[in-house]
Amino acid sequence: MLSRESLSEFGANCDEGLARCMNNENLYFKLIQMALGDGKLAALHKALDAGNLDEAFELAHALKGVYANLALVPIHRPLSELTEKLRVRDGSGCEPLLAEAEKQATILTSLIAG
Amino acid sequence: MDDNTFFRRTVLIVDDEPINREILGTIIGGDYEILHAGDGAEAMRMIGDYGMTLSLILLDLFMPVMDGYEVLQKLSEDETLKRIPVIVLTSEKSAEVKSLGLGAVDFIPKPYDMPEIIRARVQRTIQLAEDSALIKSMENDDLTGLYTGRFFFEYANRIEQYDAGRDMDAIAVNISNFHLINDLHGRDTGDEMLRSLADNLMTELGSRMGVVCRENSDNFYLYVQHLDNHTDFIDRIVTRMRRTEGISNLHIRMGVYPNVDHDVPMETRFVRARHACDAIRGDLSQSVAVYDEEMQRNEIFTQRLLQDFEEALSQQQFVVHYQPKYNIAGNKPLLVGAEALVRWNHPEFGMLSPKDFLALLEAYCLISKLDRYVWNDVAQHIGQWKDGGAMAVPVSVNISRIDLLDHGLKNTLLTILQDHGITAQDCVLEITESAYADDAVRIVETVADLRSEGFRVEMDDFGIGYSSLSMLADMPLDAIKLDTQLIRNITKSDKSRQILKLVVGTAKMLSLPLIAEGVEEREQYDMLKSCDCEIIQGFYLARPMPAEEFGKLLQKEE
Repeated sequence: MLSRESLSEFGANCDEGLARCMNNENLYFKLIQMALGDGKLAALHKALDAGNLDEAFELAHALKGVYANLALVPIHRPLSELTEKLRVRDGSGCEPLLAEAEKQATILTSLIAG
Repeated sequence: MDDNTFFRRTVLIVDDEPINREILGTIIGGDYEILHAGDGAEAMRMIGDYGMTLSLILLDLFMPVMDGYEVLQKLSEDETLKRIPVIVLTSEKSAEVKSLGLGAVDFIPKPYDMPEIIRARVQRTIQLAEDSALIKSMENDDLTGLYTGRFFFEYANRIEQYDAGRDMDAIAVNISNFHLINDLHGRDTGDEMLRSLADNLMTELGSRMGVVCRENSDNFYLYVQHLDNHTDFIDRIVTRMRRTEGISNLHIRMGVYPNVDHDVPMETRFVRARHACDAIRGDLSQSVAVYDEEMQRNEIFTQRLLQDFEEALSQQQFVVHYQPKYNIAGNKPLLVGAEALVRWNHPEFGMLSPKDFLALLEAYCLISKLDRYVWNDVAQHIGQWKDGGAMAVPVSVNISRIDLLDHGLKNTLLTILQDHGITAQDCVLEITESAYADDAVRIVETVADLRSEGFRVEMDDFGIGYSSLSMLADMPLDAIKLDTQLIRNITKSDKSRQILKLVVGTAKMLSLPLIAEGVEEREQYDMLKSCDCEIIQGFYLARPMPAEEFGKLLQKEE
C-alpha cells in the first residue's frame, strides 16, 4: 500500500509531490500509479534497443518531466541523466541508467502491490 | 481575480502527458474552468471552437502530431486569436527565446513551481491581457481603428515630451456636408466614407512622424511633422476617395495650424486648427485654411467678449436701439411699430453691432441671458412711453432658438409684462425659421401657446435658409419679415424680384402681412410699394435710434 511514509522511505520528496497535487493524497497516489502503468518506460527500452535515439530522447524527456512533477526522485534522477545523454544523441552508457530507472520503478510498483 | 467581473475564466492546458495536465488542472482548477488538449492539433481545434472565450493557454512545447511552436506560429498569424495570452510549459531554458519570439508571454518551468507561484503567474497574465484589451478598446475608434480623441491627445503630448524641438502641424480635417452623404446615400456609405478617409490619411502620412484620430463624427485630427504642401496632401486623398467611393462631388476641408507654438497647450493648438477649418465651412472652392494672425486676433477678440459678457450685463453695457417700422400704403409713411436692436457699448472696443456678438453668444448658450436683458429693457421703455402719454406702437423683440425650447418662456415673458405694467399687445415676438427646422412640432405648439396669450409672432429672415411653404401652412403667424439679403438684391437681380413677387403673392393668399427690412434705397422702396408690400423698416426711412429719441418720435407722431 502506498503511504507518505513508504514513499518517503522509497526516496520520493513527498511534500513537494503532494504540494503540486494541492495536498490531495488520493490524487497524488493515483497519478503515481498512472505514471508507473503508462508503459512509457517499456517504450523507451524498446527505442533504445532499436537504436532509435530520436524517439528515445522524446520519451526520456517526457518521462523525466512526469517523474520530476511527481517528485519520485529515485526514478527521476537516472532519467534526467539519460535525457541529457540522448539530447546529444549519445547512446553510450544509457543502459545502466535505464536499468536503474526500471529497477526503482519495479520497487515502487511492488510497494504499491504490497 | 480581484476585479469586478464575476465569471469563471477558461484556461486551456495543452500537454501530451495526462499526468502533467492533471497536476496543472488541479493547481489552478479551483479558480478557472479547465479544458485539456493532448497535442497541438487538438489544441487548435479547441481554440477554434472556444475562440476568445479562452482567457489563457498553458502550452507544452514537445508534443506529438503538432508541437507547441507550431501552435504559437498559427496563433500569431490570426489577428484575433493572437490576443489570447499563452504561457509556455518547459524545462528547457533554450526554448524560451524562440517561444517569446513567437508570442508567448511567460513561462512555467518544469517540474512545476509551488502551486501558489503558478496560480499567481496565471492570474497576473490574464489580468494583464484583459487590461491591455480594455485599454485597446478605449484607445481605438471602433469604426476607423484610429485613436480616439482622448488617447490622441495623450500620444500627441508624448511626442511633445520626447521630441520637443520638431516643427509640427496641428490639423483638423472634416468632410463637407457629411450629414448629406448620410441622408442621401445611407449610413453605411457614410461609415464607409469615414473608414476610407481614415485609411487614406494613414496612407498619405506614410512614415512621417505623427498621430491621427477621429475626434468625433466626421472630424479628424492630425498632429504631424510639418507638411510643406497641405493642398496637395488633401487633394490626393479627395481624388482617390472620389474614385473609390464613387461620390464625385466629395469635398474635404482641412484647417491647419502650422509649425505650432510649443508654448500653446495641445488642446488649444487643435482649437486653432478647428477654427481655421470652420472658417471655410460652406465654401466648396477651398480645401485648406491656415490659421493666421487675423484668426488669432479674432480668437482673442471673441475670448474677450465671452470673458466680459457677464460684467457687461451687470454694468448695463448693452444698449437697446429702436428702428421704426412704417406702413407705406398711403401717401405718407405711418409709424406702426419698431424693432428693438441691441448694441454692446464695450469699454474698450466701443459700440459693437449685433453681428459682432450675437452668433458668438448663441454658440456659447449665453444668448438667453442677453434676450432676457433686452426684453426687460424694452418692457421698461414701453412702460415709460405709455406712462408719458406717447402713441403706443408694438415693439418687436427677438426670441432665439434656444428660448423657444425653454418651457418657462411664456411665464418669463408674462412676468416681465406684469413688472412693467404693459400688455402682450405692446410686444411682437420675432422668431427665425431655423428654429422651425430644428423641431417643427414643438415650435408650432410654443408659438400657438404664446399667441393664445395675446402675443403677436413674426417670422424673421424669411426668404433665406430653408424657407419652406409648408412651414407657413403649419405655423400660426401674424406676419413674415423678408430677409435683408433678399431686399438688397431686388434691384440687382431679376430672380430676386421674381422671388419677392412670389413671396408677396403667397403672403397675400395666406392673409399674412409682409414686412420688408433693410430697405436702404429709394429704388427698393418704390419696388416694394409697387408690389404692395406695406410695412417697411430700414435706413431709407429711419435708422435705429436710442430709446429717448424714439420716445420723442412717438410723442411727435401722437
